[in-house]
Amino acid sequence: MRTLYSAVLCICLLLQASQSSAETAKDIVKKANDLWHGKSSISEGSMTVIRPGWSRSISTKSWMLEPDYAMILITGPAKDKGTVTLKRKNEIWNWIPAVQRVIKIPPSMMLQPWMGSDFTNDDLVRESSIVDDYTPSSIGEEKIGNYDCYKIKLVPKPEAGVVWGKIVMWISKKGYLELKTEFYDEDGSLVKSMIGNKIRTMGGRTIPTHLEMIPVNKPGEKTVLDYKSIKFNVKIKPSFFSERNMKRAR
Amino acid sequence: MLFSLAWKNIWRNKKRSLIIILAAALGLWGSLVAGAVWMGWGESMVNTAISRNLAHLQIHKKKYIQNKEIINFIPDGSQVLKKVRTLENVHAVSGRALVEGMAASPTSTFGVKIVGIIPAEAEKVTDIHNRLVSGNYFQSSSRNPIVIGKKLAERLGLKLHSKIVLSFQGLDGSLIYAAFRIAGIYKTDSSIFDQSNVFVQQTDLFRLLNSKPIIHEIAIRTETSAVLPQVYEKIKSLYPDLDVQTWNELAPEIAITSAAMESFTYMFLMIILFALLFGITNTMLMAVMERIRELGVLIAVGMKKGKVFAMILLETTLLSITGGAAGIAIGVLSIAYFSHAGMDFSFLASGMESFGAATIIYPTLPLEMYVALPIMIIVTASLSAALPAWKAIHIQPSSAIRTY
Amino acid sequence: MYLSLSWRNLWRNKKRTVIAAASVFFAVLLAVVMRSMQNGSYGYMIRSSVKFYTGYLQVQGKGYWENRSLDKSIVLEKKQQKEIAQIPHVASTVPRLEAFSLVSFKKVTKVAQIVGIDPAAENTMTDLKKRLVHGHYLANASDGVLLAQGLAELLKVQVGDSIVLYGQGYHGMIAAARLPIAGIVKFPITDLNNGMAYVTLSNAQNIFSANGRITSLAIMLDNIKNQNHVFKSLHSKFGDQFTLMTWQEMMPDLVQGIEMDNASGLVMLVILYIVIAFGIFGTIMMMTTERAREFGILISVGMQKWRLAWVTTLETAFLAFLGAIAGALVSLPIITYFHNHPIPITGDAARMFDLFGVEPIFNFSTDPNLLINQAIVVLLIALATAFYPVFFIRKLQPVQAARS
Repeated sequence: MRTLYSAVLCICLLLQASQSSAETAKDIVKKANDLWHGKSSISEGSMTVIRPGWSRSISTKSWMLEPDYAMILITGPAKDKGTVTLKRKNEIWNWIPAVQRVIKIPPSMMLQPWMGSDFTNDDLVRESSIVDDYTPSSIGEEKIGNYDCYKIKLVPKPEAGVVWGKIVMWISKKGYLELKTEFYDEDGSLVKSMIGNKIRTMGGRTIPTHLEMIPVNKPGEKTVLDYKSIKFNVKIKPSFFSERNMKRAR
Repeated sequence: MLFSLAWKNIWRNKKRSLIIILAAALGLWGSLVAGAVWMGWGESMVNTAISRNLAHLQIHKKKYIQNKEIINFIPDGSQVLKKVRTLENVHAVSGRALVEGMAASPTSTFGVKIVGIIPAEAEKVTDIHNRLVSGNYFQSSSRNPIVIGKKLAERLGLKLHSKIVLSFQGLDGSLIYAAFRIAGIYKTDSSIFDQSNVFVQQTDLFRLLNSKPIIHEIAIRTETSAVLPQVYEKIKSLYPDLDVQTWNELAPEIAITSAAMESFTYMFLMIILFALLFGITNTMLMAVMERIRELGVLIAVGMKKGKVFAMILLETTLLSITGGAAGIAIGVLSIAYFSHAGMDFSFLASGMESFGAATIIYPTLPLEMYVALPIMIIVTASLSAALPAWKAIHIQPSSAIRTY
Repeated sequence: MYLSLSWRNLWRNKKRTVIAAASVFFAVLLAVVMRSMQNGSYGYMIRSSVKFYTGYLQVQGKGYWENRSLDKSIVLEKKQQKEIAQIPHVASTVPRLEAFSLVSFKKVTKVAQIVGIDPAAENTMTDLKKRLVHGHYLANASDGVLLAQGLAELLKVQVGDSIVLYGQGYHGMIAAARLPIAGIVKFPITDLNNGMAYVTLSNAQNIFSANGRITSLAIMLDNIKNQNHVFKSLHSKFGDQFTLMTWQEMMPDLVQGIEMDNASGLVMLVILYIVIAFGIFGTIMMMTTERAREFGILISVGMQKWRLAWVTTLETAFLAFLGAIAGALVSLPIITYFHNHPIPITGDAARMFDLFGVEPIFNFSTDPNLLINQAIVVLLIALATAFYPVFFIRKLQPVQAARS
C-alpha cells in the first residue's frame, strides 16, 4: 500500500515537474516581458550609438501605455531637443521643432533606423511580438555573472512576420531579468545579441538598467540604452498620446 | 531584237555574268539578312521587356500611375478581367495585385514591389517561370511561397527555402508583416527589375490583407504585335474611365531604342547598297574594257550609240534581276530558317553573362522590306550600269578594233 | 626587276588601273564610313547614358555603392578635386551629396531622393537646366529646392510653396529643413520623375550635418577611349583612399545592351565585306580576262608562267595598296565632315530621342585606328583576290589566248 502510494506520488511529482517546465517557459518569458512593461510607465534615460570612429548620445523621456501607445521626447543634445516620436497602435509620427512640423512615418521608412541607432522604427512599434509570435521552450540553465538563468529557446510561429530563425533568451531565475538575448537567422548564425546589466531597483522593480544591442558582424558597432529613472503604473490615458501633446511635451 | 542581243551577250561571257549575278544576289541576300538581324535584335529587346512584365497593354485605374497606393485598385477589377479575356485577338490576360513594401532578412532590408499573381494566368503573359535559376514557380506546397529575383536574394543574403519577411500597408492603413518562403529565384536581363519585384500568390496576399480580391493592374498579351492597335482601341472604348496604355507608353526608354534600331537599319542598308553600286559599276566598267573590240565593231558596222547604251543597260538590268531573284530566294529561306532556330550571339558577346533568350535573335523583316529592297537593288544595279554604258558609247570604233 | 615591271604594267593602261584601284578605294571608303558610324553611335549612346546620371567614372567612399549610406561619404579637399580635374582627358567633375529623406507638404508625406549639387557642374553634365518646366534653376547660394514634376504633383505643391524635409543625416543626426520650391524639373522616366529633389551642395551638407562631405564625385571624359587611362591615373593617386567605379559597374544592364549592339554591328560589317569582296573580285576577274591575249602572247614568247603570275600578283598588290591608301585618305575628311555636321535622325525615332534630352543624330567617330583597321581589312580582301589571276594564268592556253 505504502509503496504504491509512494510510486503514485513520485509519478505525480514527475508529471508535475515536466508539466511545469513546459508552462514555465511561456510563463518565464511573459514574466520577463512584463517586467519591462507595466500597464504604463514614464522613464528617463539615454541612448548612445557607437560606431568605429564616432559615437552619439541622446537623452530621452518616454511615456508608455501598453501595448499601443508610446511617446518619446528627446531632451538632449541641444540640436535635437524637443523632437518627439509618437506611436499609436502601428503608426508612428515625429514632431520636429526645427521645422515646426508633425510628419507621419510612411510604411517604407518603418525599417529605417530610429534616430540613427541600431533600432528601427519598427522595433519601437513591435516590442510585444516576443510573446505573440514565438513558441518558447526551455533548453536548460546557465549562469550569467552572479545570476542563475533559465535558458529559453523561442521559435517563430509559422505565420509570424519575423525575420529570425530563433531567439535564445537567458532569464534570471530570481527576478526574471532578461540578461541576454541572442538573435539567430534560419541557418543558425548569430546575427545580433542584447545584453542587460547594472541591475538596480527603480520604480519599485528590480531591472537591468544598462542594455547593449550588439550586431555580430560589425566590429566596433553597438547601441547602448541606459535607464536613469522609471515609474511604473502611472496614470496616463490614451488621449494623452496626441499630436497636440507632442508639441507640448516636456 | 535588242533584247535577244543583250540576252545572247549575257550567255556569251558566262564568267562575267555569273559575277554580276552573284554580286546582285549577295547584295540582296546580305541586305535582307542584315535588315532582318537588326530588326530581330530590336524586336528581341522589346519582346524581352514585354515578356518580363510589360505585356502588350496594361490597364490601371486612372490615378494609379501617379500614385501607387494600395487603395487605387481597378473598380470591379474581376469584371474587367473577365470581359477583356473574351475580346478578339487577346492571347492571354493576367491580373496583378500590387503593393509597395519592404522585404527584410536578418541582415538587411530593401524596398520592393509585391506582385500578387495567379501563377497559371501569369505564365501565359510573362516568362518569369522560364527564367528561374533555382526552385520552382509556385509548385511547392510551402506556406506563403514567394518568387524573388537573384539580385534581391544576394542583397538580403537569402537563398532558396529561406524565410523572407514582407511588410506593407493594408487597406485600412495598418502595417502588415508576413513571413514568406522563397520557392523560386529568377533572373532576367535587368538586375534592377530583379531586385525590386517579388511575386506571391494572390490568395495569400488577399488573406493577409483581409480583403476581397482587388486588382491594380491588368496585363494583356495580344496575339501578335500587328493587332495591338485594334485591341488597344477596343479596350479604350469599352473602358473610357480607366487608364489603358501600350508598352511603348509605359516604357518609353525601350521604345526609343527600338526606334533607333530602325533608323540604323536604313542607314546601314544604304551603305551596303552603295557598296553594291560601286561593285557592279566597277565590274561592268572593266567588262566594257574587255569588250572594247567587240563594241567597237558594233559601232563601226553602224549600230546606233543609243542602242549600244540600251544594250549594256539591258544586260546589266537582266543580270541584276536574275541575281536579285536568287538573292530574294536565298534571303527568304535563310531568314525563315533563322527566325525559327534563332541566331545565338552569345559567342560574339564574350565576357557577358548568358541570358538565354536575350542573346538569341530571331531575325524578322517586315513585309514592306521584301518589296522595297529588291526594287532598291535593281534600281541600284541598273544605275550602276549607266557609267559603263556611257563609256561604251564613247568608244572610238577605229582605235577600238585595233586594240589587242 | 619584277617590281618595276609590274609598276610599269599598271601605268601602261591607266584606265584599267584606275578602275581596279577604284574598286578597292570605294570599298575602303564604305567600310570606314560604316564602322565610323557604328563606333560613333555606340560612343554616343554610352555618352548619352552616362551623362544622365553616373558619369563615366565616380570617386566614392569605400563601401558606399551597395547601401548608399551617408555615413560612407567622403571628404574631397579642394586640392584633391583640382588634381582630379587636371588629369588629362577629364572634361568635368561633378560633386554630389545624396540621401533619401521624407518630404512633406500639409498632410502628404513622400520618400524622395535628395541630391545636393553644384548647380553649374551638374548642368554641364546632365543638362538639368533644360528639364526645368516651372520656376528657376538653382543659383550657387540658393536655399531652395528643385522638385521632380511627379513628386510635386503628389505633394500638390507649386513654385513658391515650402516643403519640409526630414530624414537622417551623417552619423545619425536628425536632418530637418524647410525648403522653398525654386523650380520644377521633368524627367522622362517615371521613377525619377516621382522621386528626385535637388538642393545646392552646401545646403545639403548643412541639412545632413555633413559639412565638407560628398557621397560621390562623377567624372565626365572628353572621349570614352580615354577611360582606362584616366582610371589608371585616378587609381594611382586615390586608389587606397577611395573606391573608383566605372559606368560599366554602375550600370551593368547597359553594358549588356551595348555588347549586343556591337555584336549585331559586326554581322552588318561582315555582310558589307562580302559585298565588297565581290565587287573587287569582279573587277579583278574582268581585268584578268581582258588581258588574256596579252598573257597568251607573253607566255608564247617564252615568259615562264610563274614569273607572269608573280608580276600579276605584284600588280594586284600595288593596286590594292593604292586603292586602300587613297580610300583611307579620302575617307578622313568625309567622316570628319559628318562628325561635325551629323546626319539627323527623323520621324518617330527623333521624337523619342528628344524625350530623353538626347540629340537625334547619327554620330560619326573620327578615331584614326578605325581608318587603319578598315583599310587593312579591305587591303587583305583585295590581296586575296590576287589568287584569281594566278589561277587564271596557270590554266591559260597561251596559243588560244594569243589569238583571241
